[in-house]
Amino acid sequence: MEPTKTLAAWQSECAKVQSALAEAGVETAADLPTLEEVRVRFLGRKGALTELLKSLKDLPLEDRKACGPQGNALRGSFEAALAAARARLEDAADAASLKKDAVDLTLPALRPPRGRLHPLTTTLDAIAGIFRRLGYSWAEGPQIEDEFHNFSALNIPDDHPARDTQDTFYLQDLPRLLRTHTSNVQIRAMEKSKPPIRIVCPGRVFRHEQIDATHSAVFHQVEGLVIDEGVGFADLKGHLQAFLESLLGSSTKTRFRPSYFPFTEPSTEVDVKCFFCPGSGCPACKHTGWIEILGAGVVNPAVLRAVGWDPEAWSGFAFGIGVERVAMLTHGVRDLRDFYANDLRFLRQFDEDLV
Amino acid sequence: MKISSSWLKTHLEHGLSTAELQALLLKLGFEVAGIERKGPQFSGVVVAKVLAKDKHPNADKLSVCTVDDGAARYSVVCGAPNVAAGQTIAFARIGAVLPGDFKIKKAKLRGVESQGMICSREELGLSKDADGIWVMGEGPSLGADVGSLLGPADDILEVEVTSNRPDCLSHRGLARELAAALGRELKPLSSSVAETLAKTLPVEVEDAAACPFYGGRLIEGVKVGESPAWLKDRLESIGLRPINGVVDATNFVLHDLGQPLHAFDADRLAGGRLIVRRAKAGETFLALDHKSYALPEGLLVIADAEKPVALAGVMGGEESAVTEKTTRVLLEGAYFHPPEVRKSSQKTRLRSDSSYRFERGADPDAAVWAAERAASLILQLGGGQAGPLNGLPKVRVSSGKRIETSAARINSILGAEFSGDEVVGSLKRIAKDFSGDASKFAFTAPSWRHDLATANDLAEEVGRFLGYDRVPYRLSPLTPRAATLTASEAAARRARARLTALGFCEAYNYDLLSEKALAAARLSSEGLPRVLNPLSEDWALLRPSLLPGLLKNAQHNLSHGADAVRLFEVGKAYSRKGGEVVEQWRVAGLLLGPVLDARWQSARAPRAGFPDAKAAVEALLDGAGPLSWEAPGQGQAGTWVCDPVFHPANALRAFAGGQPLASLGWLHPRVARAFDLEREGVVLFELNLERLAAKPAPRAKFRAYSPLPVSRRDLALVVDAALPYGRLEETVRACGVAELQDVLLFDVYEGKGVPEGKKSLAIRLTFGRDDRTLTDAETAGFVQGLVAALKEKLGAELRS
Repeated sequence: MEPTKTLAAWQSECAKVQSALAEAGVETAADLPTLEEVRVRFLGRKGALTELLKSLKDLPLEDRKACGPQGNALRGSFEAALAAARARLEDAADAASLKKDAVDLTLPALRPPRGRLHPLTTTLDAIAGIFRRLGYSWAEGPQIEDEFHNFSALNIPDDHPARDTQDTFYLQDLPRLLRTHTSNVQIRAMEKSKPPIRIVCPGRVFRHEQIDATHSAVFHQVEGLVIDEGVGFADLKGHLQAFLESLLGSSTKTRFRPSYFPFTEPSTEVDVKCFFCPGSGCPACKHTGWIEILGAGVVNPAVLRAVGWDPEAWSGFAFGIGVERVAMLTHGVRDLRDFYANDLRFLRQFDEDLV
Repeated sequence: MKISSSWLKTHLEHGLSTAELQALLLKLGFEVAGIERKGPQFSGVVVAKVLAKDKHPNADKLSVCTVDDGAARYSVVCGAPNVAAGQTIAFARIGAVLPGDFKIKKAKLRGVESQGMICSREELGLSKDADGIWVMGEGPSLGADVGSLLGPADDILEVEVTSNRPDCLSHRGLARELAAALGRELKPLSSSVAETLAKTLPVEVEDAAACPFYGGRLIEGVKVGESPAWLKDRLESIGLRPINGVVDATNFVLHDLGQPLHAFDADRLAGGRLIVRRAKAGETFLALDHKSYALPEGLLVIADAEKPVALAGVMGGEESAVTEKTTRVLLEGAYFHPPEVRKSSQKTRLRSDSSYRFERGADPDAAVWAAERAASLILQLGGGQAGPLNGLPKVRVSSGKRIETSAARINSILGAEFSGDEVVGSLKRIAKDFSGDASKFAFTAPSWRHDLATANDLAEEVGRFLGYDRVPYRLSPLTPRAATLTASEAAARRARARLTALGFCEAYNYDLLSEKALAAARLSSEGLPRVLNPLSEDWALLRPSLLPGLLKNAQHNLSHGADAVRLFEVGKAYSRKGGEVVEQWRVAGLLLGPVLDARWQSARAPRAGFPDAKAAVEALLDGAGPLSWEAPGQGQAGTWVCDPVFHPANALRAFAGGQPLASLGWLHPRVARAFDLEREGVVLFELNLERLAAKPAPRAKFRAYSPLPVSRRDLALVVDAALPYGRLEETVRACGVAELQDVLLFDVYEGKGVPEGKKSLAIRLTFGRDDRTLTDAETAGFVQGLVAALKEKLGAELRS
């Protein structure tokens, strides 16, 4: 094709378009339609810039080579300016509509009711859980028990003060009582199985006691029993130390001191160093620096004999932990009755997770 | 038990401070519950005389006294109105320290210098309240230290002695324990009675098993009077009230040696003799506590020719008590079989220091030597002549058990590695009767140690003496075992997890309740296990259901400001079946008030109703098999104990896998009224956890789900207003369209546009197949078939 346009003519048109672009007000367009109008005016099918670029083909070849980049650069910078302006205008439009959408975010949450587990459940499970990880199986026994399983088999003689009606609830018309400890489960479990045995027996127990801030006629214990070959007091110390460190923290200091329970011999009560005071004494530790946490001992051979197990071949240890006591210590509850009032303001303070 | 540390030192020179003593006792298994400091807790206070009393120039109520302590004169400001010239007083000089670490310094009081303080008894810690200064009376020489005049200070320890160690229930007993632990010797005990009287009082023992030893000694010509100060001080230091020389002597011996004794006025014993026998029917006994006791037949008593004069081992009688008029004393030293004393004490509700020791087991040998010590003390205090001990039987009661074991066995029980020497050394300190060596020895328990019978008992002794802290910690490789859960516990955990997820808080109620609480819940007490000795009527019965407890909790929470309650409990319910108590794990729940805590969007927070209880029960039964529902009291639903709590028309029994497992419904209006819940809509449920646990849900197995789309069709059906929705759904499902995956009710409407007596139920049907997508024509065919069936069976019309 023959060139129909001279370089000078093209340059002059280019200069015109350029100055028209400069005056088109891309940067100052008030809204998107105005901007679009500007775009069409220059880059639409019949737009000035479109025409200018189209006319490149009418130039002689060597002029085309020189002017082509010039025209494209012009289009490039115009498109860039358009994009920038569009972005600016879109942002502004969004901002306005987003602002219009705003709602009151400070309204209270729509709370689905959140359930909680009772602190005695979580405490009991925390205690039993540590022993389960040491290979203790969960065991249960009746809450209404006979004298054999609650007393006699545990080496508590007929005339022992614990059997007094001042300490134990008995039933009318039936030779049954409300178990005074979870130790009956030791006997029940041993009767049903053969040695060795390793069980943890959590449950509810009853004592004939007037209810006040520190006494409850109903409370919970976690009993433990291990019978195996060659088990001695040292194993009791090892297991209970591991338990207390797991429950209360690895820096827990313990003290094993002699005590007396008919069903264990030797017997011990275990204290932990008070974690409320630096050992100087406070109401929680009754000003002794130590908090009594559990009772334990080597299973009395008389107990093994009562269930027909050979005390020469098997030995073991047992322990009992008061759940309320641990819950009071770990959660700072001061009145035992709070555990049984079921006031939602109390229950909602504790987590629903099993620890 | 109160232990005086100065009294303790009369038996053992332990060389320990009170704090060290406390620590040693603890190591041995005796807790010290408290320490009371007695005697002068001050220093620098001297006897002085008030020479003159002048008015304070600047204060009406104060005076300026001139005080002389024999060495110097002081000017002292005093505020007590009773101070007067010529008085002998306790004067705290500058530098004195009064109780409470109060140091006396030179001070100016209203412009006048005071060079010390004139003390009241209260300020010296000698009494709780005092009227003015302590006027000491003539006698003490000026300048003497007031503290020394009052005698030495003493610490009274409240020692807790476990029930297996009655031998430690006295000063000598505890000293003996300490001596063994420390490897020291007790101070010797010397007492002998010059038997200058030939007379005895006849004694007869009818039941030698109940009273293996009874000794009586006659003392004549006794002059009964006030005890000397040292004896009164001893008794008062441990909180006892001195009575007279004879009674005080027996009380002293009880707390000194641990042996309870009793002194009778021999002239007041009818027939001049004693019989140890069983109480006869209808006998009464006037005890030393001035109360008369009707004695149950068969209790062991000491009687004269006419009537009981003492309840054996528990308490003597008022009518034969030693008084100031007594001249002839019969001193009893006996050993009673512990269960006898325990029975007597229990049946008469009479307790004493004597019964406390006898029922735990006294030292049979001490009945002789302790009574001897008391006799010599009585003679020493009140003169007189003592006869010989008239003891029955003449032979000694046998001593403790013989235990054969070895150091290796002891170490195996303890899991310790104590040397043979240590083990043997510890045990030899307890028993003189010891033979053999570490590899095999025989130990015979002394007569006071009833608690030593087995190798385990000796292991405890060794552990205590050598220290539990020396036993290592061992987590030995025991037989490995799987830790399992019981079925009921596994079910309880699932129930707790599901109910807390539904927003229920867990409650713990007592298992015992009152007849009244039961009646309020319309439950019958008939045939319920009943407590023989309840704390009160509120605790008379074992609960047959968990619902009364939850109702009480709802009432409590409402009256304390709650407006929404969701509570559940996992616990046992009780019933009687023949001669047995049946206890059963249950889960129960209660709901009332708004479902959501969202009052400002009330549309989203409806009040809890039956469907909420249904949701809870469905959640609990999820996995237990196909569910169905029936009204209680009918057919397979049967009658349950808890049924009367529910609204009779608005309650259901839930079945899973064909078994009735739970009850749920609205609260009966009468129960609502009884619990002040009538303004609330209360729904509840109770579930038999054990039945659920018996068939645990199998472990979930993955099933492939279809990636293909499903087809949904909504239908509005006009049916009789009385038709339960359940019938509609059943009818739809009964058509057996395999492609029908779900039926969902999304609207219930009565009113404009629906004929009178009719209602519109709108349901959404979901159809689908796993292998291919359904065509519209297929789905339309299913719907057509269902609509036809509904029309035929229920008269349902499509709503136009």
